[in-house]
Amino acid sequence: MLDILREYWLLFLVGQYPNGPLGGLVATLLVAICGLGLALPCAMAIALGRISPYMPVRIAAAFVVHTVRGTPFLMVIFWSYFGLPILLGRPINGFVTLVGALVLYESAYLAEAIRAGIEALPRGQREAARALGLNYWQTMGLVILPQALFNALPSLLTQFVSLIKETSLGYVISVNEFTFAAAQVNNQLLTKPVQVFSILALTFFAVCFTLTQTARRLERIVARRRNGMAKDGEPTALLATEPTP
Amino acid sequence: MIFFESVDKFYGSHRCLTRITAHVAKGEVVVICGPSGSGKTTLIRTVNGLEPIRSGRIVVNGQDVHAPKADINRLRREIGFVFQQFNLFPHMTVLDNVSLAPRKLRGLPREQAEEEARALLARVGLAEKANVYPGQLSGGQSQRVAIARALAMSPPVILFDEPTSALDPEMVGEVLAVMRDLAGSGITMVCVTHEMGFAREVADRVWFMDSGVILEDASPEEFFVAPRHPRARRFLADLRHA
Ligand SMILES: Nc1ncnc2c1ncn2[C@@H]1O[C@H](COP(=O)(O)OP(=O)(O)O)[C@@H](O)[C@H]1O
Ligand SMILES: [Mg+2]
Repeated sequence: MLDILREYWLLFLVGQYPNGPLGGLVATLLVAICGLGLALPCAMAIALGRISPYMPVRIAAAFVVHTVRGTPFLMVIFWSYFGLPILLGRPINGFVTLVGALVLYESAYLAEAIRAGIEALPRGQREAARALGLNYWQTMGLVILPQALFNALPSLLTQFVSLIKETSLGYVISVNEFTFAAAQVNNQLLTKPVQVFSILALTFFAVCFTLTQTARRLERIVARRRNGMAKDGEPTALLATEPTP
Repeated sequence: MIFFESVDKFYGSHRCLTRITAHVAKGEVVVICGPSGSGKTTLIRTVNGLEPIRSGRIVVNGQDVHAPKADINRLRREIGFVFQQFNLFPHMTVLDNVSLAPRKLRGLPREQAEEEARALLARVGLAEKANVYPGQLSGGQSQRVAIARALAMSPPVILFDEPTSALDPEMVGEVLAVMRDLAGSGITMVCVTHEMGFAREVADRVWFMDSGVILEDASPEEFFVAPRHPRARRFLADLRHA
């Protein structure tokens, strides 16, 4: 396995780059980060929609969430792959398609995590902000969302980890990402699929595990700073929502 | 300063305020007392529009709070509100809690807002807590910060909903001291509380509520010495024995 790594590490890491498109692990992380970066604001909007005082907004947001949650991610990729070019009237590249599909899919799940974070806050928080004279958006932006996002951090993180894993499905529409790179290596070696795909699996594990641990630590530090009493703090409000299947 | 005109409020079919008509003059300190569930919280929450009303009018500072076209956010800047549960923002330092509204609503630059906030914190005796988070404060300290926060917009009116009920007994005094100081400052104050010593000492008027009605509106001398209504008499007797 080590000799495979020694030989092909660059292909695993960046794909054909700079002689071809950027690929490999770097592309996977790039897709994941773009996906998360764009999905988070969408998720916040959907979450606010879910608890909006206006019924039509609530219904629309619930429709999006339930539709997406009832659809396998592969289906979303196919729809984006075949549907988006028709909708936009021009071809789009695989990278954009994959990011688009991830944003659509993850927004719905992240939105539910954020909504749970909002609903877990005491009603008094919103009332105190409104009583000061802050309007709805100031209340959400300054008081509610910062707390809700922090409380939802564990589930947001679980979701980000699934997002990283979901990028591997970009393989089916030939996006140059990590899994694609592994398949290329496998095609060149032909005889060592188990070793090649073990490298893939172990790397995914290492990345996701590191991420989870880092965020846990971060969370504890913040919780401790805010709450002098929680010395060796398990953060007080851990919210778990179901991760993506 | 505050006029209630025939205010009715329902929760579903449950009638919770019945034809409340009352008046709080400028600079007056009114203490509202009455048994649990009598509608005290509901009444003061209608004053800043945290609770809607079915009918009637509430006029604060010349403006109808529940008028359909009322700018409620602007009105609320003129009405400080202190909650039983403090409701400090746990993700902000004490200083940020107090300076938030002036910065966001009066558009004060951070430096000036913080200077004012420090002055308010000094007034409630917590100057040294400016940079800690609310999670590190005791209940009494939290409530004093909440009072400073409510004062940050310099409202002419401040409302208290049982500000000492969630506190350990040894912390009640420090909060009452701040409120006593405030009562002498000329601000109009409406305070739901069962601290009868405080009422006797600083209130200009005492309202006794029961079942959504103000049964008695009297000076503290009248109310404590010779309450007219039998239910008020029973309430006071129960308090003394508690
Ligand atoms: N959100 C609510 N929904 C339904 N009923 C409520 C609600 N809040 C208060 N009530 C009812 O209204 C009445 C008055 O409550 P409240 O104003 O809290 O009384 P107090 O503050 O005097 O104890 C009570 O009977 C209470 O059960
Ligand atoms: Mg009450």
